[in-house]
Amino acid sequence: MMVAREPSILFDPARCVGCVACSQVCPTKAIRVAAGCAVVKPELCIDCDACIRACRYDAVQARLSSPADLARFKYKVAIPSMTLYAQFGRDIHPSQVLHGLTRLGFDRAYDMSWMNEMVAGAIDASFSEMEGPWPKISVTCPAIVRLVQVRYPDLLANLVQIETPRELAAKVLRRRVAAEQHLDPQDIGIFFITPCTAIMNSIVAPVGLEQSNLDGAFAISEICGPLQKAMKLGGAEERDDQISRAGIRWAMSGGELMGMRNTNTMSVHSLRDVQYVFDHLEAGKFQSVDLIEAYICPDGCISGGLTIEGRYAAGRNLQHIGRRLGTQSLIKEEKVRSLMREHFFDLEEEIKARAVRPVAQDLRRAIALERERQELLARLPGKDCAACGAPDCATLVEDTLRNEANIDDCIFLRLARCEEAAAKRGEGSP
Amino acid sequence: MNENRWSTGESCVSWEDAEILYSESFRIVGDDFEHGGEAAAKIKAKLKQFGLDAAIIRRLSIANFEAEMNVIMYAREAEMQLQVLPNAVRVILSDRGQGIPDIEQALQEGYSTATPQMRQRGFGAGLGLPNIKRNTDEFEIVSTPGVGTTLRYTIHLQN
Repeated sequence: MMVAREPSILFDPARCVGCVACSQVCPTKAIRVAAGCAVVKPELCIDCDACIRACRYDAVQARLSSPADLARFKYKVAIPSMTLYAQFGRDIHPSQVLHGLTRLGFDRAYDMSWMNEMVAGAIDASFSEMEGPWPKISVTCPAIVRLVQVRYPDLLANLVQIETPRELAAKVLRRRVAAEQHLDPQDIGIFFITPCTAIMNSIVAPVGLEQSNLDGAFAISEICGPLQKAMKLGGAEERDDQISRAGIRWAMSGGELMGMRNTNTMSVHSLRDVQYVFDHLEAGKFQSVDLIEAYICPDGCISGGLTIEGRYAAGRNLQHIGRRLGTQSLIKEEKVRSLMREHFFDLEEEIKARAVRPVAQDLRRAIALERERQELLARLPGKDCAACGAPDCATLVEDTLRNEANIDDCIFLRLARCEEAAAKRGEGSP
Repeated sequence: MNENRWSTGESCVSWEDAEILYSESFRIVGDDFEHGGEAAAKIKAKLKQFGLDAAIIRRLSIANFEAEMNVIMYAREAEMQLQVLPNAVRVILSDRGQGIPDIEQALQEGYSTATPQMRQRGFGAGLGLPNIKRNTDEFEIVSTPGVGTTLRYTIHLQN
């Protein structure tokens, strides 16, 4: 069953000035500006964070977990995205970050870099058994999965059928914590510390599995300040030596492919490039590629909309932190293979299309509508000024055809009518 | 004029009688690699809007892309016309260009007249026309060396 998606972003009416910067960058044309404030159409939103980056007034808020959500659980666990490690300069050890989190209301924080390395190994090892169509597309970035569901349903069969490391890590850790702390698994709250808004919907309305193993998510941008203070208090002298260098690279573009030995890979990042490549995939191109790592953010997770450190600095930080971890592999190939035999890594459910309701069902009606669309479009000035509330003229036409807007919302059409009326009254233009 | 002609597939619609529900033309300019693939992309977007079956759109897009790149690589200019019929989609592509002297040969997989420059761009595997043939239900080539080539290919819609 598909759970209804709620928008993963909210616009703060007190801050939003209705400037349309967000609606114009939205790749799926999901934002409308009405009465001076932006609203998002959840069925179209793919959680790409483009609006968050574009907003100059800090008016776009991510819908994430609250402290009240945390309080529901007896035992609170944090699993940070690798991106969190990249927020505090070059000279920290991930153990300091994990320890810092335990001073912010979490009973325990766990690293998941080892699971990244395991999943990379599983993807690599399972290539020989995978069937076409090629190339396969990684499912790590939830916004990519949603983009495929909404805009490229043809490519659903190309998605890698292996669960994400964050879900698998949460699954394993829930069992482990329950056993170690003698707790009912339901009393354990596992929260992801996220660089982007896309994670939240992957928890609330997951795809590929019935129910998420995570209980919520907090933004890196919200947690960074208090965490920095907490880290200064020290107390993390004991260093976790089970942190995977290959695993922490997953936060950067290309990182996921580092562990691939047997496959011909390609890394694609930033929305525009992803759309370019997906368009070509639909046309049957890139057939010689086995695996595409795709991220909606310009440089992978380190450039997520909910991060503090800029992506170039974050990338350097992470590389430096990784270098000091040493190069040894923590993962035994035999372990990965035996887990594969147990289907540990497999997606539980098929990922289905999330088609946007078509305007017309039958071909004749659709073509008649297309003519109407072109006629309406010809009446509009084509300036894409967005003053009507839709991001561009074509979207105003689309909304008009769906009876969700009126072509006369166009200020240029209104102006022309005013001038016409004035001319009729014999007053002329002022 | 020595016109070469080749065709395959069984027509499900009589050419003259079929009602054209929609038609639109796109211009393609030879050597314009910068805009290569745009006509195919526009047709794809339009057919998506018409709600056609994804597999049909995919097949036609592959054929269109190959045909469009052929024009860009070998011809001076062309007009790509999309026609939507009640039970088929059809593309007619007429170019002004060098023409194809031996169509049978051009249809063989791996046969290519691409220059090293074209190969550098990733083309010239000799899969263009065979790929169009493979993805369409009807395919007709009429070519006059020195004048130009007309491709006409159709995919049937299952109702």
